Amino acid sequence: MEISNIIDSLHPLEIKVLMTLSARQPAVALKSEELAIAAELEPSQLSMAVEWLLAKALIEIQAEIVTPVVSLTKIGEEYYQTAAPIERILASARDAAGTGKRLTIGDLQTQPGLDPSDVSKAVGRLKKEGVLLIIQGGCIETTGRSSPTAEALRPLLEEVHESSRELASFSPERQQLIEDYSVKRGNAKEPFRVDERVTRSFVLSPSGTSAVEQLMNQGLVEEVSQLSPELLKDGSWRQKRFRKYTISLRAPRVGTGKKHPYREFLDTVKAKLVSMGFQEMRGALVETEFWNMDALFMPQFHPARDIHDVYFVKQPTHAAMADESILSKVGNVHENGGKTGSSGWGYAFDLQRAKRLVLRSQGTAVSARTLAASPNIPGKYFSIARCFRYDQVDATHATDFFQVEGIVLGEDINFRTLLGLLNLFAHEVAQAKEVKFLPAYFPFTEPSVELHVRHPRLGWMELGGAGLFRPEVTVPLGVTAPVIAWGLGLDRMAMVALGIHDIRELFTDNLELIRTTRGLF
Amino acid sequence: MPTITIFKDDFESLLTGARTTNRPVSIEQVEEWLMLVKGELKGHNPETGELRVELQDSNRPDLWCCEGIARQIRIKQQGKMTPYPFLTEKVKPKAKVIVKPGMEQVRPYVAACAARGYQVTSKGLAQLIQTQEKLAEIFGHKRKTVSIGIYQLPKITFPVTYELVKPGETRFTPLGMETVMTLAEMLMVHPKGVEYGGILAGANLVPILRDAANQLLSFPPIINSREVGEVQVGDDQLFVEVTGTDLPMVVLTLNIFSTNLADRGATIEPIIVEYSKRTSLGKRVTTPKDLRKSKTIPIPTIEHALGQELGIKVVKQALEDYGYEVSAGKGSVRVKLPPYRQDLMHTMDVVEDVAMSRGYAEFTPVMPAQFTVGGLSRIEQVSDRARELMVGLGFQEIISNILGSPEQYSGHMRIDETEWGQTVKVDNVMTLSFSCLRQWMVPSLLRIEAASSRAFYPHRLFEAGDVAIPDAAHEVGSRTETVLGAVIAHASAHFSEIHSCLDTLFYHLGKEYRLEPVPHPSFLEGRAGRILIEDKAIGIIGEIHPEVLERWQIAMPVVAFDLNLSQLIGQA
Repeated sequence: MEISNIIDSLHPLEIKVLMTLSARQPAVALKSEELAIAAELEPSQLSMAVEWLLAKALIEIQAEIVTPVVSLTKIGEEYYQTAAPIERILASARDAAGTGKRLTIGDLQTQPGLDPSDVSKAVGRLKKEGVLLIIQGGCIETTGRSSPTAEALRPLLEEVHESSRELASFSPERQQLIEDYSVKRGNAKEPFRVDERVTRSFVLSPSGTSAVEQLMNQGLVEEVSQLSPELLKDGSWRQKRFRKYTISLRAPRVGTGKKHPYREFLDTVKAKLVSMGFQEMRGALVETEFWNMDALFMPQFHPARDIHDVYFVKQPTHAAMADESILSKVGNVHENGGKTGSSGWGYAFDLQRAKRLVLRSQGTAVSARTLAASPNIPGKYFSIARCFRYDQVDATHATDFFQVEGIVLGEDINFRTLLGLLNLFAHEVAQAKEVKFLPAYFPFTEPSVELHVRHPRLGWMELGGAGLFRPEVTVPLGVTAPVIAWGLGLDRMAMVALGIHDIRELFTDNLELIRTTRGLF
Repeated sequence: MPTITIFKDDFESLLTGARTTNRPVSIEQVEEWLMLVKGELKGHNPETGELRVELQDSNRPDLWCCEGIARQIRIKQQGKMTPYPFLTEKVKPKAKVIVKPGMEQVRPYVAACAARGYQVTSKGLAQLIQTQEKLAEIFGHKRKTVSIGIYQLPKITFPVTYELVKPGETRFTPLGMETVMTLAEMLMVHPKGVEYGGILAGANLVPILRDAANQLLSFPPIINSREVGEVQVGDDQLFVEVTGTDLPMVVLTLNIFSTNLADRGATIEPIIVEYSKRTSLGKRVTTPKDLRKSKTIPIPTIEHALGQELGIKVVKQALEDYGYEVSAGKGSVRVKLPPYRQDLMHTMDVVEDVAMSRGYAEFTPVMPAQFTVGGLSRIEQVSDRARELMVGLGFQEIISNILGSPEQYSGHMRIDETEWGQTVKVDNVMTLSFSCLRQWMVPSLLRIEAASSRAFYPHRLFEAGDVAIPDAAHEVGSRTETVLGAVIAHASAHFSEIHSCLDTLFYHLGKEYRLEPVPHPSFLEGRAGRILIEDKAIGIIGEIHPEVLERWQIAMPVVAFDLNLSQLIGQA
């Protein structure tokens, strides 16, 4: 990297260290501690800056000095707070001498906090110094002499407790004492520990020197990390330098406001239908069997009206319909065809059954209501209606789902214009160029067609069903013009667009999944 | 929509007629032919030759079998109808079934015939049984309106009587059992008795078929006798009966069954059924019976519906290719369905058959040319606008099931017994988790919160959609309204944060609102408010009560609002 680029990306801490090192003339190496003090940095800040500068080769390690350093162990701290075994044994022996009591080694070993190894080491040392005598029966007697060890140990504990110190700073005698009482392999129970501390000293590297020169040449331009309103207000940003960022890092995630991918898919369908001249219809989630089925000429004994196919409402069970004239008109058609030219189903229509409340099971219920409400002729209508089926929920069956359905009314409506409309859907909704029309069966249309298309990604698939409403449907609702009823099955397309394989995932509760699903429409 | 299994070689032999050699056909050819019968090939096992076929038309029970499918295709290929003399010619039946008085109370009608000369093969037997089951199950509403029995003819002495007996006093060995049992026992322990016994629930007397030698044939609609009613491979003389509650359906079922047997080479011998009282078909009914009525259809009606000029000749040929009997009149045709069909209700039914017989590919699509203006409903426009604003406010849109549980929508929300807790409930519950409609939106969003504690915070979620609010004043007992719900969840989620969002929303929707404190159990007291426009409450806002969060097992503060958009625009 160019030295100027390196300079531009220097962190303020790094600059401080570089300047501190270059301030020593003639050039001398500085130890970490000295550097920290001179640069007025916390040890942690210094070590960060030093690592960065080493990585950029702006400074070099001149020497690594290994220094033995003495510190107290946990036991050493305890001895400092209370007393070392040697002190305690000496005190006990003097005490015994004063009172004339017998003191045996056994007595000492039973004192709390003293174990046999402590006792034997301390007694051994005192005996060697001629402070204690062991007489017959293991009894201990003092000679009245003082113990150099005990006397030297106390100040040593105090000094090292104060702060760790280099071993070399102690006199040879004290160094020997520390050696005797420090943790070694096989003897962890000692008050002192001698560690090797590595002290590094640093000097500027040649490129560090030239970096410093450039920094000096740039003058006293202060570096800032963030532009602020104050800097803009007084124009002082002109005297600042803006540190360069490492922009190749991964960006942190951000929570976005966005539409649900499935809803977005349905929005595109909605927009398509509006663009083709379709007017939106709305309907209720709770419907009468009348609008859900009877008006669609589904006989009351039709298998799809079974309790295993439709959800019935618990309370109230039946609708309070003020105007029953439409019921009896439709009822007549079921019974004998009424004025439609049909023979009807030939069974006794149950008016009460017609009022039974169900959860809407097909979007065509919305179309039936529209037919009865003086629709425009010519007219095109659609709805994206939530429907409910009494199905075991699995990967391909949802208990509630959207149906995209509608009607087209007009004097020019016939079987061929029905096929033309389906062609249009194939092109506009599925971008399909190839279509197939297959005979189909729906209780409310005749003729009926299934639309199969070759989808650009999915291959041949069923896109929808449609047909001409039977006169048994339209005539009693007051419509004499021919009417196309159509429905599109878009869930499979939606699932592919959203990259999911289980229909239940359309309504998933997994926020992470919703946030990260991209719709490819 | 039944799905049936047929055997390809059996199908091929039925296509060419029973007495000629098979011509193997390709699967692609089969698939194309299936268009004629609204069938779809669902599976094919090349090793066994089994084909799974789904039939769509619930008004064409004659097509729910191998014989019927083959017949429709055969007629199209041969351009003429197979003759069924037993249906069209007057014959003097030799055998008789006597219907005793009282049957009208339970299961009034019976139709029957004999079939001789077709030696039952194993594949043929499988088809007979499948047809018997599909017709009784789907067309016969799980045997309620129609059920079928097949017997070994030589074991039966005529006349057969159809009569009522006490279920505890009559006994025979049913199919599938080793020992003699009473009819009452069959209802209790025989699998078919358990399955279909409900049809006879409440009847003190139940129907049986008995022959002149006092032998019991069956206990319709439950089970046949094992001695007489177990047809086996190799049998070549059969007795078929259909019983039920709807005479035209009973007769049609026998017509279909006898036509199928005739297609396999049997000679059908009609049987006379003698009722104690007059039926809609008379007191003495010979079955199978042709029930067809003819219908005159003007050619322009067909042409107008199809959008294509065809002419009388083309229409006549198309219908004959589809099995109709057609006589051409002046500008019209007089048509009669084949005797195994009964689905001609309206001219439009004939129109579809013309189109299917010619093939849908024969019709060129034409675009509807009339101009219409597209557009969205007012509520959808408002909902879309609100959704855009919520997205702009940084909320992620959610979409949920509307069908859920009272526990989620009310129980967890601490509003079980309150005015807010009422829901539209399902009567025929399948699982409690899908047993009522949501009446507000907040629980749908808490559902996400409960499942998404590992998704990074803050969470800002919204959903706009339909709810059902119980309302006795409404025709269907509830109002469907569009509601916007929103929640914010993070460690310091706060009332004022969600309030700011609501405030911004109202500003851009151009509505004045105010908040009025309300004690609502779902929210912390003193931190919840009704959203009012012109003193009308249209929603609620507040900090979710910690007990609600505990019940949902949500370990993060949540603030929320629920705003009724339908009421906002005065469309409630």
